[in-house]
Amino acid sequence: MPLLSVNDLVMYYKTKMGYVRAVDGINFTLDRGESLGIVGESGCGKTSISMTLLRLLPENGEFQRGHVYFDDGSGPVDLISLPEHEMRKYRWKGISMVFQAAMNSLNPVYTVGDQIVEAILNHYPDMSLDAARAKVAELFELVGLDPKRMDQYPHQYSGGMKQRAVIALALSCDPKVIIADEPTTALDVIVQDKILKEMKRIQKKLNMGMIYISHDIAVIAEVSDKIAVMYAGKFVELADSVTIFKRPRHPYTYGLMSSFPSITGEKKKLFTIPGEPPNLLNPPPGCRFAPRCPNATKQCTEEEPPFIEVEPGHFMACWNPVKREGEES
Amino acid sequence: MSEYILEVKNLKKYFPADRGLFGRVRHFVHAVDDVSFEIKYGESLGLVGESGCGKTTTGKVIVKLEEPTDGTLLLEGEDVSTYVGARKKEYHRKVQMIFQDPYESLNPRMTIFDIIAEPLNIHGIGNLKEREERVSELLQEVGLTPPSSFLWRYPHELSGGQRQRVAIARALVLNPSFVVADEPTSMLDVSIRTGIMELMMELREAHNMSYLYITHDLAVARYMCERIAVMYLGKIVEISETEELLHNPLHPYTRALLAAVPVPDPEFSRGEPEIIGSVTKPIDPPPRCRFYDRCPIRTKDCEISDHPPLVEVLPGHFVACYEVEKQKRG
Repeated sequence: MPLLSVNDLVMYYKTKMGYVRAVDGINFTLDRGESLGIVGESGCGKTSISMTLLRLLPENGEFQRGHVYFDDGSGPVDLISLPEHEMRKYRWKGISMVFQAAMNSLNPVYTVGDQIVEAILNHYPDMSLDAARAKVAELFELVGLDPKRMDQYPHQYSGGMKQRAVIALALSCDPKVIIADEPTTALDVIVQDKILKEMKRIQKKLNMGMIYISHDIAVIAEVSDKIAVMYAGKFVELADSVTIFKRPRHPYTYGLMSSFPSITGEKKKLFTIPGEPPNLLNPPPGCRFAPRCPNATKQCTEEEPPFIEVEPGHFMACWNPVKREGEES
Repeated sequence: MSEYILEVKNLKKYFPADRGLFGRVRHFVHAVDDVSFEIKYGESLGLVGESGCGKTTTGKVIVKLEEPTDGTLLLEGEDVSTYVGARKKEYHRKVQMIFQDPYESLNPRMTIFDIIAEPLNIHGIGNLKEREERVSELLQEVGLTPPSSFLWRYPHELSGGQRQRVAIARALVLNPSFVVADEPTSMLDVSIRTGIMELMMELREAHNMSYLYITHDLAVARYMCERIAVMYLGKIVEISETEELLHNPLHPYTRALLAAVPVPDPEFSRGEPEIIGSVTKPIDPPPRCRFYDRCPIRTKDCEISDHPPLVEVLPGHFVACYEVEKQKRG
């Protein structure tokens, strides 16, 4: 049984105008030591997935159906069906999260060390204060912060250091899965580079499962073993990262890859995907990408393509995928 | 006539960092510190650097949203500071700016027509009918078609990409010859971004414009610019033709920056950026090289000398570094 398996997860936001279909039938699995990158544009539902997994939905977020099986070796548990007080044991200890703009998620009036100690004592009530502080010092070492800075306040930290502290916080209760939601988006490239390398190193060292969410395919390429491409509330393609980058089949993945400028390699002409993503209040019938798709046929606008395994480990939802060289239709 | 549309000479912009008794300023942030560059007719120069390096301030001084502390701006070979009255107004017609955030740069209470026509109004160009024609023509050009369906809408009814197209139309309505573009695509999604980048290149051709393209993203600069200037803490540390800069970076900061850029290829392995510590604020910086504290190749000489001048070490390739200069001079 994989560490995490998500089956047909559906979550809508209820608004005055109707339901916003932010997470609409998501399936994936995650193993120990594996990292899954979820890439998509703003508003496609990436962050909503993580909020649904952790059951941290805002008031208007309505869970519709699906299962999230979490298995840390003692048998699978469906997190969705747990009562809230049971769920708390899994949140932070089972699955933890580094939030977007995490540097603003530290409390300015407590020292950074105290905030992490508090999280640890909450989940390990039997631990002594000294033991918790020793654990924080260890975590600081792990994320590349000087343990002497434990008793400083967040404003004494730089942006990159705050981000490291937030990662230490996310690791404080020994999670099995860590979800990182655009943790480096607000940072400059040189700092981003260090944080990315650090996250990858820690994830492999602790053999955690990692879900890394970003809009930046270059960042995703650096950290992920496999990649899910998300469009308008759905996964359109899921495969190991080399396949996604070198041999994408879904026209959206293909468009995304060829519209991304790079500083390496030859300067290619950039591809433009026409149009704009649909409004999730009222998504188009059939395939949601069909109105922007160069391969779209009548079938695409009427029938929704199923998310199926086209080759081992490679999933895709498309009626008319991009042809590979030397392949007949 | 000058070879350059715009020349920036020894531009400085200091901001007060704190005030002492009686409002006397004691410390200054050296946001832009002795920056010089030229932009040829029809050229697009990329100004690249991390946040807080002074790239946006440079752009604002050029469009006169900020008064420079010191330095000269030459437009078409003429000193801009000598302009008065009508000439001054003409400068504001010829030099325009496109801002980063299309959600903040458009007045939410104005219609698209009012937003784009406002510069015409200020400069007293045309009557209502002519303005409407001109705005429709521009909407067509920036790809908001049919124009009649956009003219009377408000910014909140448009998507981010459409708003940025409106902002571009507003910048172009007076037929400028020089445009400062401050990260015009950094707030946009990948699939929308390429469209805006292409539009800006087409418009440059069609209207014979020159750009100062400000960005933190070297990959975007590669597609938008013929030359790139790299800025660090208020100083230009390297300036060169784009492909030369990307393939043969000389300044240690440029090298670190390039090594840190993630590459959209899971099989590509990057080097380690060689750089020490983290960026500081340029408040009353010491006279030595701005990059000294973080430099992997610094020497004793660097500590006691002033900030190095930009020197042409290869044809058209300028670097501000004593060590690189020494190596190249052999």
